[in-house]
Amino acid sequence: MIDVRDVSRSFGRTVALDHVSFRVEPGEIVALLGPNGAGKTTASRIIAAILAPSEGDVLVDGISVRAEPDKIRVRCGMVTDQPSLYERMTLRAYLAFFCHLYDVASAGRRTEELAALLGLSDRLDVRLGAFSRGMKQKVAIARGLVHDPPVLLLDEPATALDPETARSLRSFIVSLRARHRAILLCTHDLDEAQRIADRVVVLYRGRVAREGLTGDLRADAHPRFVVSFTGDAAAARDALARAGVKAEPTSAENGYAALRFDADEPGTTNPVVLRALLDDGVRVITLAREERSLEDAYFAIVAAAGEQNG
Amino acid sequence: MGKAALIAWREIRWEIFGDRGAVLRTGFFALLPIFFVLSSRGNTLGGSADLAILTLALQSALIPALSGVALIASTFTQEKENGTLVPLLAAPVKDMDIVVGKLLGMVGPVMTICAGSLAVYYVLGSVLYGAARLRHALPFEILYAILVIAFLYLITAGSWVLIVAAVVRTTRAGQQIAGLMIGISAAVFGLLGVTAARIADGWALVGLGIAFVAADIVALEIARRVWRRSEVIGRL
Repeated sequence: MIDVRDVSRSFGRTVALDHVSFRVEPGEIVALLGPNGAGKTTASRIIAAILAPSEGDVLVDGISVRAEPDKIRVRCGMVTDQPSLYERMTLRAYLAFFCHLYDVASAGRRTEELAALLGLSDRLDVRLGAFSRGMKQKVAIARGLVHDPPVLLLDEPATALDPETARSLRSFIVSLRARHRAILLCTHDLDEAQRIADRVVVLYRGRVAREGLTGDLRADAHPRFVVSFTGDAAAARDALARAGVKAEPTSAENGYAALRFDADEPGTTNPVVLRALLDDGVRVITLAREERSLEDAYFAIVAAAGEQNG
Repeated sequence: MGKAALIAWREIRWEIFGDRGAVLRTGFFALLPIFFVLSSRGNTLGGSADLAILTLALQSALIPALSGVALIASTFTQEKENGTLVPLLAAPVKDMDIVVGKLLGMVGPVMTICAGSLAVYYVLGSVLYGAARLRHALPFEILYAILVIAFLYLITAGSWVLIVAAVVRTTRAGQQIAGLMIGISAAVFGLLGVTAARIADGWALVGLGIAFVAADIVALEIARRVWRRSEVIGRL
């Protein structure tokens, strides 16, 4: 379990993290989101005991990162956004080297297990420099798993992976959750976060802008509706504008035209929309609530945080 | 210490013997002293023969050591530039093990080459200047002192280069500054070495060795401070 307690970290005058707190329970995937420079990588490096916090503390399985950083490193597996491999080494030698660093009992067997797990068994004696970018990222993942850690810190793990490999990686991460691992996923890929994260922490300029269940964050976004119809989309849009509803064209299935509009109070807005369209002679086909994505929620949270920060 | 040895072994096996460029560079520095010996023409050594024999012995050991300083500079800056330092720092390895392991990985092979170069010089010198003359000019104690000086030079210059490597961001910048340091240190230490060799039949070299040890202690302490993981990560 990861327990980040009121952590701050500065580099000179730059404040990278400002009193950040959140938790990741065993068997849970938490996505750490935020724009570039929000403090995601700094947070994961502090949890991994690579960086010391300026203030506050992090507990991993109850062990303080300040008091016993070596014990924390044994419990954490870290996957960086860049593979960062020793490219002159073969895969076998590379994984065995990290097995030895983590005091893994049978390095040879573990190396072969991990290679098999990530589909690299036939490349064990090939130099890493000859690997494709996707294969290198797989090796970086294997490196983070050599000691079978209870806590995983994944910093953009799917970077440069093809869709098929990214999908299998997501399945793999989900399978680790089923094995009761606490997983912190730092990512810019909101689609990936929406698919696999149980909870989301949004960082903005080193502070927690929002934290909550992924589903709750999506539900909190302004309700949005899509009306599909036959006829001229521009005329329909003008009709809605005259009724005081701002709408924008969107694509609809089966060749119908469609408009999208926000409705904080659907009970009031939707009848107005329908009446305006019908009065204008538009043949309405459907009116449905649009499922909001994590991306919508994220941008709303970041925009609000940006306004608060001036 | 076990993990320092593991890191050292990786450096030797994969970063030195796995890199043709590094092997060629080191080979060049190992062959250079032999070229100087062959071009010195033993029959023209004249009255200052012993001093010339001693100077050539010193260069046979110290010139290969120069390549070690360049290797130390590149091993640390490459780790920073390629991002490979982050997974290493994330592993349960002490900061000192990383620094010592990397230094050992560079110093070990280079000192082997220094010793080999000195041995080749001794054999070659016996042929060129005569075995008796060489035995007189280079007793075992002096040979040993020369190797110790080469070792101390390597550690001293390597530690200072280590400090530079912690501050600069790219391998290129690291190598340029290391090159400058190698040039300056070779000139300064060479001058000191020749001067010390003239005093008390070369025994003043011991004083030079003590000066190196003092410089080592200062440099390694600064290197230890600048290579603390928080400091390094802050500069990445």
